[in-house]
Amino acid sequence: MRHTNLHRLWAVLLLLVVLCLPGFWWQPHQEKIVRANYQSLMAPVFFVPGSSATQNRFNALVKELNRESPTTHSLLRVEVMTNGRLEYSGNLKQGDERPFIVVGFQNHRDGPVNVRKQAVWFATAFQALEKTYHFTHFSAMGHSNGGLVLTLFMEHDLAKTKTKIDRLMTIATPFNLEEQDAAVDTDLFKELSGDRTNLPRNATVYSIAGSKTFASDGIVPFDSVNRGKYIFQDQVKHFTQITVTGANANHADLPENQQIVALIRQDLLS
Amino acid sequence: MTDRIAQLGMRLVNGEVRFYRNRQISAIRQALRLIFPIILLGSLADFLEQSWLRTDGYYYQTLHVARWLFQVKILRQYLRLIGAGTLGLAGILMAFAVSFYLVVPVTRHMTDRLMAGTIAVISLKFFNVTRTSVLGGHTIKWVATDLGIQGILVGILVGVLVGNGYRWALGHRSPDLEQIPSTLVITCTWLVVMAALGLLWVSTQTVSLNSAFASIIRWPFRLPHFILGLLGYCVLNGAFEWLGVLGPLSASSGQSIESAQNLAAVLAHRGWQLPHPLTLHTVVSVYANVGGTGMMLALLLALFLSRPTAWQRRIGWLSLVPTLGNFNAPMMVGLPVILSPLMSIPFILAPSACITLSWLCIRLKWVPTVAYPLLTGTPGPLQAYLGTGGSWTALALSLADLILSTAIYYPFVKLVQAAHRQLDGEVA
Repeated sequence: MRHTNLHRLWAVLLLLVVLCLPGFWWQPHQEKIVRANYQSLMAPVFFVPGSSATQNRFNALVKELNRESPTTHSLLRVEVMTNGRLEYSGNLKQGDERPFIVVGFQNHRDGPVNVRKQAVWFATAFQALEKTYHFTHFSAMGHSNGGLVLTLFMEHDLAKTKTKIDRLMTIATPFNLEEQDAAVDTDLFKELSGDRTNLPRNATVYSIAGSKTFASDGIVPFDSVNRGKYIFQDQVKHFTQITVTGANANHADLPENQQIVALIRQDLLS
Repeated sequence: MTDRIAQLGMRLVNGEVRFYRNRQISAIRQALRLIFPIILLGSLADFLEQSWLRTDGYYYQTLHVARWLFQVKILRQYLRLIGAGTLGLAGILMAFAVSFYLVVPVTRHMTDRLMAGTIAVISLKFFNVTRTSVLGGHTIKWVATDLGIQGILVGILVGVLVGNGYRWALGHRSPDLEQIPSTLVITCTWLVVMAALGLLWVSTQTVSLNSAFASIIRWPFRLPHFILGLLGYCVLNGAFEWLGVLGPLSASSGQSIESAQNLAAVLAHRGWQLPHPLTLHTVVSVYANVGGTGMMLALLLALFLSRPTAWQRRIGWLSLVPTLGNFNAPMMVGLPVILSPLMSIPFILAPSACITLSWLCIRLKWVPTVAYPLLTGTPGPLQAYLGTGGSWTALALSLADLILSTAIYYPFVKLVQAAHRQLDGEVA
């Protein structure tokens, strides 16, 4: 009887060892897999203002977002100088998992040439912040040309980093610049749609348009914002277009528009 | 000394036998036996789904399942459905079975027995209904959550309430009355009363009975600081499982902030310096959870080391695969460990001993702390090895814990076997 019991025990232990074998064989590759799947607790939200606006552009928006919010998001402002040097103001609170980082540029002038330069400067700032804070994923919001800066960054420089973008929200971003003629494609639009296959497949993108006069938000033509679909659709995981009308729907007021603040809370920060 | 131990053992065996002779407990034991095949099937489906088909599963990762298995998504959906239909309804099944077995000794009529079970099921559902659908006058919607293995205890309580009520009504039935009208009267009365109680519940409470119960028992685990410490957690969790609240109660599987910070520290810096070396994840989940809560693999080994009864042997073999993947429900229901006074002692004692030993070893820095996420279904003793990125000392500690637990379980398993033989002898 005792003999049979020991046989049973050996059988169980043998099965245990057999089941452990794949684990021993897999272990040398474990670190690489853990690193690849690792998601930092911190997932900052980047804000990029449009042309003519500085890194202080979103102060009011951040205040508004922190109001009625269960946790206060800390705010770091970064200004990228034309020589690539970074100037910081504000600070990231320890333990803040969703800090806000506003990236502005010393040269914040309008025009496709400047926008392309700003995208490169954004990449410089991003890489420095990634190195400092060790985040592996993030979200971003760009107002007006800020959306172009972020889209260019996603197409050209994101793959060089070790991070993934969760969500992008562009507000009144003129993907075809201020071109009034819907039949004309600007060079920047051609570049954005030509390189769209570089966009990350797992991102969720929202494009918000303001509408004041049925055709534009006062500055950016509706058609130019609407062209976001030719860039993001079928490239990213989800692409949603939203049009906001009513009070504060003109181009400059959009970031403080209550409907858009609600959309940022709901779609970007939730 | 030996005599004293023998006397104590006899006393414990007699206590267990007396406990199981109790009418209520006997019905619960029979009910647990009845639902065992369903729990086993559900646990196997859960085990396969979580460890073979999910990306964070042990076999999925180590055997590269995605490379050679087709239709993984459909298989996952299929197994999830089986799990939901079996483990997901365990509470309801227990309510039926307990009520049924309570009525069996007092009536020959199958109608009465089945009706007692049916009333228990309906009563349980009266307390698990969407509040807005009842109060808002919409189509009634039944709540399906929390009726699974976490709801076994609620199922038992409702079954005991309804079963005893039905017994009482049968005892007061007029002997002149024919069977069918009397069943009708008892059934209708019970349902009318239980529906009233159910309505009272939904109009005063915002959640279903099972959800309310689940949040009450989860409450102590949400305390901001672990005032009771790791041992306190272990005792509380063990006590709930012993009462029949199976399944995870708190997020101890590695998702806490401490675990995330530990992982970040390991990945960001050279060396293996962790900011939080002693947490639920690094001690309890890894070293005191081999085979599931209560060191169930140690119980299985102790069972095979001793002279198991035919029933225990069958349960042991059938539960082997889920237990090796740390799914303890089949052993808890099959043996059963649930509501067995003798089993409660090692069930609490073994993990507590493992926690103490492991805590000491980590504290003295004899073994590195676990930082990597644990893969679901990893064979218990291997969890420490993989969690520490391949530390042999961690594996040795895990094996030492397993041997220690087996030694703790062994004498109690022998006593339980003696008690079961006595009870089975009576039945035979």
